[in-house]
Amino acid sequence: MSRRLWAALSEVQDPEMPINLVDLGVIYAIDEHDGVVEIDLTFTAMGCPASDFILEDVRERLLREEGVREVRVKVVWDPPWTTARMTQAGRDALEAWGLAV
Amino acid sequence: MATAAEFDQMIKSGELIESRREMTPEYLRELKHTLIVSGDTELISAPAYYLAAKRAPSINAFMTGIAIIQDELAHAHIAYHILEELGEDQEKLIFSRDPKSFRYPYAFDVPLDSWTELVVANGMYDQAGFCLLGDIHEKCSYGPWKRGLNKVMAEENFHLRNGRTWMKRISAAGGSATDELQRAVDWMFPLSVEWFGLPDDLKMHSTQLEYRLKGLTNDQLRQWWLSTVVPYCEQIGIKVPAHKETRDGKDVWELDYPFPCEFDAEEKRWDFKQPITWDDVLVRWRNRGPRNAEMVAMFQEEFHKFRKTHHNGES
Repeated sequence: MSRRLWAALSEVQDPEMPINLVDLGVIYAIDEHDGVVEIDLTFTAMGCPASDFILEDVRERLLREEGVREVRVKVVWDPPWTTARMTQAGRDALEAWGLAV
Repeated sequence: MATAAEFDQMIKSGELIESRREMTPEYLRELKHTLIVSGDTELISAPAYYLAAKRAPSINAFMTGIAIIQDELAHAHIAYHILEELGEDQEKLIFSRDPKSFRYPYAFDVPLDSWTELVVANGMYDQAGFCLLGDIHEKCSYGPWKRGLNKVMAEENFHLRNGRTWMKRISAAGGSATDELQRAVDWMFPLSVEWFGLPDDLKMHSTQLEYRLKGLTNDQLRQWWLSTVVPYCEQIGIKVPAHKETRDGKDVWELDYPFPCEFDAEEKRWDFKQPITWDDVLVRWRNRGPRNAEMVAMFQEEFHKFRKTHHNGES
């Protein structure tokens, strides 16, 4: 189940950049018990203007997974996000877009 | 510099123009005009959006509104920066022009007075910008602008998302919230349709198309816009005065009102029973709308005050 949930979130794109949330490194943890999914998630900046959309997209995508009946998202700031949390695939995507990371 | 015939051949063969040295004076003039329209439109959207973003219903929504304004200023900067490279004085263009000589669409002279009107602007005006810039991004013969638009397109997508998400939320809320949204769409939809300018049958010649500064005609751009906005509004339960027809196997979007027609900018109300001519529209555009001077003053006034204070301090 956990692998399936990570795969689902890798389909959720950042609303501003052509990169998914898993490659961006903002998903810290996914836990599931009896259909209730708990997510630890951060943003690249505290003033992220897309935070509302990201939370909505995460909830919407996970609720489409079979066996998921509730999604609880916890926004965390520790450890703070840095570019070091991005995957190589994420770096490649942003560099191809013209953003040096 | 290439001869006019050699230059025309370069344009026809799809080559990109990279510097001023390669251009004919006519191409340079048309490119500058197109860039000024683009820069002015992005720039004026900042004060227009700011007046409404201040009415955001949450801190998060306010942050999104401010981020969109920051994007618009950056997009304006790209156009003015290229104009400077082409020999124009950026500072004079922005801070010393008469408000009436700015070349942005009339729609921005009509104030956005609420968060609802701001999100409709994001859904409709930014969609118009997306169509116009998307076309330039794909077809433009001037390399530096074409490449500069790569990121602009992604950011405009974010503005559309804000518009569409909020329009859907407000529509779903029902009652007076939905009524307010419908009222905003009622006056902003026809203004956006007008945004694309004269219909093709009245605009016989387009130098912009000839020079590949854009690729689609006014009517083609208008159809593109209608094909995205009309289905979305219908999907979220908002009425718009347009419908789809199939002609010769192709989808065509038809307006359900005389185009163009009379608009009362103070009352934000269209009179669909009062058709007018395009000459009348051009007069309205040239006279500008109710908030033209105020919008331009929002960024010009403080610049001059600051300049004056500093100059006095030095002397």
